[in-house]
Amino acid sequence: MPRLAADKYVSNVRRPDDIDEFWDDVLAETAQIPLDPEVVHSPLRSTPQIDVFEVFYTSLDNVRIAGWYAVPKERNGPLPGLLQVPGYNMEPPIPKNWARKGYAAFSVAPRGKLRSNRQFNPGYPGLLTYGMVDRNTYSYRGFYMDACRGVDFLLGRDEVDGDRIGVTGHSQGGGLTISTAAFRPEIKAAAAGAPYLCGYMDSIDLTDAYPYQEIADYLRTNPGSRQQVEDTLAYFDGINLAPRIQCPIIVSVGLQDSTCPPETGFAMFNAIASADKKMYAYDGHGHDANNAQQGAVIDAFLASHLHP
Amino acid sequence: MTIGNGEKPDGFETYWEDTLAELAALPAAPEVAELPLRSTDFATAYTVRLTSIGPYRIFGYLSIPKGDGLFPARYYLPRYGSVVDLVPQGTANGQRRDCVIFSVAVRGQRLADQPYAASFPGLLTDGIADPSSYVYRGIVADCCRGLEYLAGREEVDAERIVAIGADLSLTTAALAPRISHVVSSPSLSYTAADLATRTEAYPLEEINDYLRLYPSHEERVRRTLSYFDLRWFAPKVTATTLLVAGSDGEALDAAALNPMAESLGGECEVYKSTHSGFRDGVFTEEWLARQLGMPGPSLPPHWQP
Repeated sequence: MPRLAADKYVSNVRRPDDIDEFWDDVLAETAQIPLDPEVVHSPLRSTPQIDVFEVFYTSLDNVRIAGWYAVPKERNGPLPGLLQVPGYNMEPPIPKNWARKGYAAFSVAPRGKLRSNRQFNPGYPGLLTYGMVDRNTYSYRGFYMDACRGVDFLLGRDEVDGDRIGVTGHSQGGGLTISTAAFRPEIKAAAAGAPYLCGYMDSIDLTDAYPYQEIADYLRTNPGSRQQVEDTLAYFDGINLAPRIQCPIIVSVGLQDSTCPPETGFAMFNAIASADKKMYAYDGHGHDANNAQQGAVIDAFLASHLHP
Repeated sequence: MTIGNGEKPDGFETYWEDTLAELAALPAAPEVAELPLRSTDFATAYTVRLTSIGPYRIFGYLSIPKGDGLFPARYYLPRYGSVVDLVPQGTANGQRRDCVIFSVAVRGQRLADQPYAASFPGLLTDGIADPSSYVYRGIVADCCRGLEYLAGREEVDAERIVAIGADLSLTTAALAPRISHVVSSPSLSYTAADLATRTEAYPLEEINDYLRLYPSHEERVRRTLSYFDLRWFAPKVTATTLLVAGSDGEALDAAALNPMAESLGGECEVYKSTHSGFRDGVFTEEWLARQLGMPGPSLPPHWQP
């Protein structure tokens, strides 16, 4: 039972006047870096029906990023591409399940994740607050771009139809779904579950649970940094990126989510510019956001837009 | 549904007695350092490093409530993945007010990844062709070492130590009887070889991947996994146990786990998961509060009535 009307919550996040200019510069800087993809077939992870590849490419700051790419062996014509983005403390999965459904599926390991941590490894806990006093050094500046470059990887594949690319993820993957859909107009459909990285500063008052508690820990030991932290995070907050989203999108939240408070999910959803948007709010559910049922909703939504 | 017709391997007891003897021969050599970043006005956090078999240096997060007295202890065993948190994501940080917390990072996980950094996927089949080389032998020893350290802390009430995790909480409780309570949601070590044939989902898919590439190893893999099967550990578990089963019809639903539940050496309550982190979480915290004699469950704000 909801403790408050989460959909009525008013976020304290303020949108910086120059946020679009900031991100346009970061995107332009990223675009100048050659992707230099390396695609290595994995006999160990492939099956008679699915080919699996280890992928590596270059992202912002010339950090080398890893990922898993899975495609069905039998195909008639180009495939829709699906970018799968990972949760905060999970390992990016091999997306065979999406390949079985007819997608060319890429699962990215942004910087700091295993296999992408040789040049940058702030650890967990740690990633959320790394460089948090400066928008130009904050960990998620590169992390967001690493996910965006997954779109570039898919666009470069002969077997992928560049007009049918989607993105999906849960928790941090939900947050990355928001940022990627905001930054990349090539995204034609987005499905975000229990989105993280929305209402960062709201969340440290709404919940005492980790990972947001990392920010509270930081501010407790660096009390003089609060304004800098708040200023930085405003550029990265999904609530402030949502006005850039133009594609069809669905969002799910659990009304008893103690990890990513539903209040912040609603605030982000309300800020999405796209008229084609739908919220699935599940009472009686926490951070799972009723995945057991929502999975079928996501499947149908993506299929209706991407036509696997 | 009946699954898992395999039998207890010959030499099961000897295998684990030898492992524990190897562990006992090595001093833990704890290094403990305060961690101000994760300390609060109600609990002090520490990093802990210990020696396990190998010898191998493992890691743990320790949190001690401020104030005097003996406290119940929550021993968090790692789930399958590289990251170990001080308290599990989404649970109340307030649990640190009333309980000593110890979260162990076993070999291969972050902060215990030198010289061995585990791959995910990959850990589940590392050395799986032989029980003596299987990485989980060391992992189980790591968990036992962590418990030994926790139970030896003067702040801990030895009558109230609960091991919380997936499979490793039961395994550890069987081998290290200082655990009074267990919360376990079996996922990887209950008839694993049979379960893998019925799924395409990771982590069990790692076993299928391995056998696809090395089909001649099937019997060896089955033999190795049998040394880690929870069915053979269950009779040794004397702790009071909450067994979290899947929903009806899932591979590890209550019916599938029932034979093991009945063979546990202590009291057992089987709870059917509702696929709601909220409902399952509240049930678990209320169970813990009752069992540990706490004034009430430790719930994050969104779980509170």
